[in-house]
Amino acid sequence: CAHGHPGCLVLSLADLFDRVIQHSARMHGLSSDLHAEFEQYFLPSKNHIGRVFPKCHTSTILTPNGKENAQKLAREELTEVILKLLAAWRDPLSQLHQSMSHQQDFNSFSSNKALEMSDMAHQLHKGVEKVAEKMQMLGMISNSLNNLASHEVLLPPSDSGEKSPVSDHELLYCFRRDSNKVQNYLKILKCRIMPEHGC
Amino acid sequence: MQKDALLILLLAGIFVSVGARHSVPGKPKKTSCRSPEKETFTCWWEPGDDGGLPTTYALYYRLEGDDRVYECPDYKTAGENSCFFNKSYTSLWVNYNITVVAKNALGQAVSDPVEVDVVYIVKPNSPENVNVKVMEDDHGPFLRVSWDKPPTADTRSGWITLNYQIRVKLENEKEWEEHEVGLQKTFNVFGLHSGGVYMVQVRCKPDHGFWSEWSSTTYVTVPDYIPRGRSMWIL
Repeated sequence: CAHGHPGCLVLSLADLFDRVIQHSARMHGLSSDLHAEFEQYFLPSKNHIGRVFPKCHTSTILTPNGKENAQKLAREELTEVILKLLAAWRDPLSQLHQSMSHQQDFNSFSSNKALEMSDMAHQLHKGVEKVAEKMQMLGMISNSLNNLASHEVLLPPSDSGEKSPVSDHELLYCFRRDSNKVQNYLKILKCRIMPEHGC
Repeated sequence: MQKDALLILLLAGIFVSVGARHSVPGKPKKTSCRSPEKETFTCWWEPGDDGGLPTTYALYYRLEGDDRVYECPDYKTAGENSCFFNKSYTSLWVNYNITVVAKNALGQAVSDPVEVDVVYIVKPNSPENVNVKVMEDDHGPFLRVSWDKPPTADTRSGWITLNYQIRVKLENEKEWEEHEVGLQKTFNVFGLHSGGVYMVQVRCKPDHGFWSEWSSTTYVTVPDYIPRGRSMWIL
């Protein structure tokens, strides 16, 4: 919708932030549900002793591991971290959906959730890009963000042949974590930029 | 012969009972961890049987992706049988694999390991300074309840977001009436009984964590009043 077009509501930065934050919360909620369903389905024994945690394909993206580190990052850097994380999940999530829809012993309900999650990640990425553009327009962050559209795309190591439930499980495990990071970083960013808005 | 057998049995009994008094300690149990504000956390355990000997406890942890084993940084701050991880020892989005080892002169016992990611063990402290005022509008009196967030939770920075719930009941009633509040720190309660003594409590929950305990009870007495509808009759 073009600026100045009658009936075209130009959203304030605060509204945009609230939207992406809500969106990210829903996305994380969905990933938690799906992850829990998966654990119940494929790992019925609660005995996780000696369980090896997967190395996530996004682990090369340096992300702050607590409040103080997140606050130390410049606004531009924090924005970039969020965008990088989201970009890195675009392809793996659609793969996850495909793999889940081919699994006969997993219900279609869950596979729909995977599709929804994949769409949400895509929309969220676009939403955060909008927020970043708006922040640049308003001079709240510098224009030095690396060209937002052209992030190198990280991919999980593709194992040859059929995907096993285990690697789907790993993807879910990693996405649950990353979507939680995104939500937290978005909130920190919002409260730094507009502390008067519900912070 | 029978007498001897009895004596042997008796002696064996004494020996066994003496032996049983000292043993390797039992496994520490029920290790559980909690973070009140997503910035620090504490783990607690229940000691098992001490085997009748002086027994010491140590907590060890490994971080996901790191083979080294670390010992608890602080056994004091959170009291007995606990380990406190301050800000510099607390990382989010990384799993801690935690075990507790009980040791005495005869040997040691290791607890079942516990895996935690601090993000998912957040249970805030209770809201504080719950204040209840009796107000009145055209429809009669109502309660205006307000409170403060738990002091350690840093909601201003956006690091933690707290949703509130409030519950109210007449002092002599059994059932509480619960209300979802959302993010605000104030709530109005309508439909009061004239002259009733009300109990009010508040609790809070972060978006992906657990409810806090309810705050301590605040009491308030609603004054006797004449409902407007009925005042016509009296006149």
